[in-house]
Amino acid sequence: MKPHCRLTVGMVALASTVLTGAGALDAQEAPVKAELPVLLTSCGQSPGPQRVRFFLKRLELEHEFFEQATAQNLRDRSEAGNPFRAIIIVTGASLKGMGAAGVSIKDELTRTEALIAEAKRQGITIIGAHVEGMARRAQGAAPGDNSDELSIDAVIPKSDLIVVRQDGNADRRFSIISENLDIPLILFDKNMELGSVLRSVFDK
Amino acid sequence: MMADRNDSDVGSRLPLVRKLVLSSLGVLLLATSGVSFYRHRHLEETVVLSPGVTEVKRLSDYFDGVRGTINDCNLYFLEGQEPGATMLVMGGTHPEEPGGRLAAWLFAENAVMEQGRLIVVLSANRSATTVTRLGGAYPTDFVIPTDWGEQAFRMGDRWSNPLDQWPDPEVYIHDPSGQNLAYVDIRNLNRAWPGRPNGTLTERTTYALMELIRRERVDIVIDLHEAELQYPVISTIVAHDRGEELAAFVSMMLSDEEFNIGMEYSPKNLHGLSHREVGDYSDAVPLEFEAPEPFLDATRGRTTREQLLTGQDEFVMKAGEHGLLFERIDEHGWPIDVRVGRHTSAVLQTMESWTILNPDRPLSCRGVPRYAEVIEQGLGHWLHDPSQAPPGRVVIE
Repeated sequence: MKPHCRLTVGMVALASTVLTGAGALDAQEAPVKAELPVLLTSCGQSPGPQRVRFFLKRLELEHEFFEQATAQNLRDRSEAGNPFRAIIIVTGASLKGMGAAGVSIKDELTRTEALIAEAKRQGITIIGAHVEGMARRAQGAAPGDNSDELSIDAVIPKSDLIVVRQDGNADRRFSIISENLDIPLILFDKNMELGSVLRSVFDK
Repeated sequence: MMADRNDSDVGSRLPLVRKLVLSSLGVLLLATSGVSFYRHRHLEETVVLSPGVTEVKRLSDYFDGVRGTINDCNLYFLEGQEPGATMLVMGGTHPEEPGGRLAAWLFAENAVMEQGRLIVVLSANRSATTVTRLGGAYPTDFVIPTDWGEQAFRMGDRWSNPLDQWPDPEVYIHDPSGQNLAYVDIRNLNRAWPGRPNGTLTERTTYALMELIRRERVDIVIDLHEAELQYPVISTIVAHDRGEELAAFVSMMLSDEEFNIGMEYSPKNLHGLSHREVGDYSDAVPLEFEAPEPFLDATRGRTTREQLLTGQDEFVMKAGEHGLLFERIDEHGWPIDVRVGRHTSAVLQTMESWTILNPDRPLSCRGVPRYAEVIEQGLGHWLHDPSQAPPGRVVIE
């Protein structure tokens, strides 16, 4: 079979994952269930949220995406009577992304800390995610740049559920946090499996 | 006394002899380098048109300001059998990154569009294909082995040839943003978007390309590049705001099925680049693809044709051992087939992903090899023998 044909089959598999729910988590229930609407944001301004957003849109899961979501965003929705029930914070930093947004990693950590505090106050389910593998870990960054790890430290230990692409956990960093703090961890192998993870978490 | 006079004569003649020898060496150097420059600038590259190429136009068909200049490049139009979207694939923005040009070449020689329309540019900055980095000791050309022999290509530079645009200012003020950029980047096509009709040759070239994009209602613009391993924007897709969903989809699919490729946002405040300005000044979605090219790394060893094509370099490997690289490298290097295959797959995957996201404006293409096929058979397998081409189906690039 030529690679082109394989890809066509791959596209069919994608459609199947998104439209019918076939995927890695089919046989298992997500350890934590979350409700909608969900707020999607970043800690570190990496493009990772775009991957999550892609599936939220395909699955028609009610969501908002704010690259720099604040505690005030949560309060505004709550006061409007339509509070967010879950929040997905995608970790991993991009110097290009932060530069474009005009923020530093320190700004990101401060914003995220306040966001998580407000989410906890409102009882919002916090999902900490890392979806870009080792390219978005300190090992993939410039020497001395540990902003990826700082964003992970700011979010993952405070999450109710951790979602990570398997190769980003090669050093078991997320597994260790999960085991030590008793936070459920979902690992997925392929990018396209993220759709079935979200489907399972949100019971879609 | 006699001896003294003879010594004096010899002594007075020596500077003259030295001058003559040095002058001769200078003339010899001038002649050999002149021949080298001339051959480089006039090396003819052949393109055997794919059966899918329905028309070959010139850039000056869209803006008269480049007519008669070296940058009046060929535009290969491949009209699909069924209607759909229009994609522009550009190679040769930076001709010192040959993977991008060669990948575009495979489309011009092999692609047949089934749905939608493809426009291919092989030498977006043709002037920059006629020179290499001055003082860099780059090879002026390279050859790709094919099933019928060898095909020669010009090695190029990141910047337009100073013969075509000179002098450089002390500071390059980008138009229209007013951003100050490095002086030499006034000859960098990927710092000159969206161009000016009355600007430098490089600016007029991007202006002409913008006119092409606007008048042909191009939906997607793909700019093919390569990057040094010490540069963080590598093995990735840089996407304009309107292309973020598409780029995320393409990077996920490619990473799952073929090879790892990331995605980065196009910074809103860095001007002159195609992934920013094409999106801001037209309706098209611009994406830039970056593949690894160790040849460009400052820590490389000998700058040879072999290094260019194999991507093998012990010094770059050593930099990797010290954690100084943003992409892996081992003794296998980054062969040109791997780099070209990444680009052909990325373009084909973009067509497929675009079609899923925009089913009313599809793009589909056959005939172009993907990553695994290019590696397995070598890119030369898809370069065709001009002597065997039907009449009128060979174009000089």
